[in-house]
Amino acid sequence: MKDPYSVLGVSQDASDEEVKKAYRELARKYHPDNYQNNPLADLAEEKMKEINEAYDQITKQRKAGGGYQGYQQPSGGYQQAYQGGYQSYSSAGSNPTYIRVRNLINGGDIQTAERLLSEVSQRDGEWYFLTGSIAYRKGWLDEAAQNYARAVQMEPNNMEYRQAYAMSQQGGRAYQPYGFAGGGIDACDCCTTMLCLNMCCGGGRC
Amino acid sequence: MFGYVRPVRGELKCKDFDLYRATYCGLCRAMRRRCGLLAPLLLNYDFTFLALLLAPEEGSFTPCLGRCHANPLLRQPMCQDSQALDLAAEESVILAWWKLRDSVADEGFFKGLPARLLSLLLRGAYRRAAESRPEFDRAVREQLERLSGLERDKCPSLDRPADAFAQLLQAAAPATGEAGRDRPVRLLLYHLGRWIYLLDARDDLERDKASGAYNPLVYRYGPEGDDEALALTLDQSLALMRSAYAMLEPGCRGPVLENVLYLGLPLVQRAVFEGSWDRIKKQKIWRTDR
Repeated sequence: MKDPYSVLGVSQDASDEEVKKAYRELARKYHPDNYQNNPLADLAEEKMKEINEAYDQITKQRKAGGGYQGYQQPSGGYQQAYQGGYQSYSSAGSNPTYIRVRNLINGGDIQTAERLLSEVSQRDGEWYFLTGSIAYRKGWLDEAAQNYARAVQMEPNNMEYRQAYAMSQQGGRAYQPYGFAGGGIDACDCCTTMLCLNMCCGGGRC
Repeated sequence: MFGYVRPVRGELKCKDFDLYRATYCGLCRAMRRRCGLLAPLLLNYDFTFLALLLAPEEGSFTPCLGRCHANPLLRQPMCQDSQALDLAAEESVILAWWKLRDSVADEGFFKGLPARLLSLLLRGAYRRAAESRPEFDRAVREQLERLSGLERDKCPSLDRPADAFAQLLQAAAPATGEAGRDRPVRLLLYHLGRWIYLLDARDDLERDKASGAYNPLVYRYGPEGDDEALALTLDQSLALMRSAYAMLEPGCRGPVLENVLYLGLPLVQRAVFEGSWDRIKKQKIWRTDR
């Protein structure tokens, strides 16, 4: 078991407030929303588990030590959120091949899933949806979006396909560290910013 | 190489800038040491990023002083020799060499003359690099062959030709056997490669339209391209790079890497879309009037 303090990246004598802050920041970083349908979802889930455990351990220790008053559990929301939140292929269709393909995608065996799917002759909405999902996992984001669009076109009432299509029309999600979140450089004029590359940051050879 | 992968200087802290500069200088030195005196001709920002990404985690960095290759009277702080620098140095030479061979093959005799001359000069450097990294050498050759096949067939997909280049870049990170690190690095490099290929296609769009050369954007979106759709898919690759990066523990190199991923790449992307990239790419990240 790792030292819970090093997991959260704080020192042993950090205040309760600091521990909580570090925990929240990490929970934001590995939040399932950032890893939906992401090939690294399992790693993110592991990390989330690790920081949840570390945080629980620290709060328990401190409570037992008596020095801690007014303890609240802020982790509840995140813990609930990641229960199954990383996997997006949970609902299954009726066709047994499709069920197998879904399991293979979930297990990360994209090649076999692709081969199996290519042997299906019937091209219905689910076929396009699964083809899109495979493309997405391979990093073929444009073909994924095209296939999701076909799936929605063929079965406009299927919520799963619509959700996948809607996601493929967004810019993607990832953790933004403080200082890079929002506006920042985007608000500046592009050319002037790049021209600033030539300004010296002070002194010496830099 | 392309030079798309660079930090935004104004947003770097001085110590992070020093680290970036020392890595760049260290890479130059590694190229000279591993591949000969001419290899530093191929020094570039993209592989400086690779060296930063692949360096093992460290809390702080201690540069050493080394002689500048371009100006031997000057002693510069440089990153100490490391495996990551050697790897970036050799891979950079290998990739540049195959790109040169590609343009020799694509161009006619006279137009291909500069590339032919350059590749003649760099043959020795390439041989030394390829001997030391045979797997990467093979991967580059295979993927570039695959790429030219797709280009010959006028592939109407964005993802397929981009996949060849993405896999090429992915091969730049040899497995360390540590899944918690290898998988995010591979995903990051895959999408970096995809992003570079597609952005380069956008950058070449006007030229290719004039010359009639293959450009995946023309076959996917029509002759005028579609900047909105392309930006969307590029942004998605950026998001995947960042989500992969969040899994790593980069130590003291974190701020520079974050600067590139969160500020540098989107800025370069916008400059290419706006058409100001040609002007900007010539700028050095450091002052040249020392």
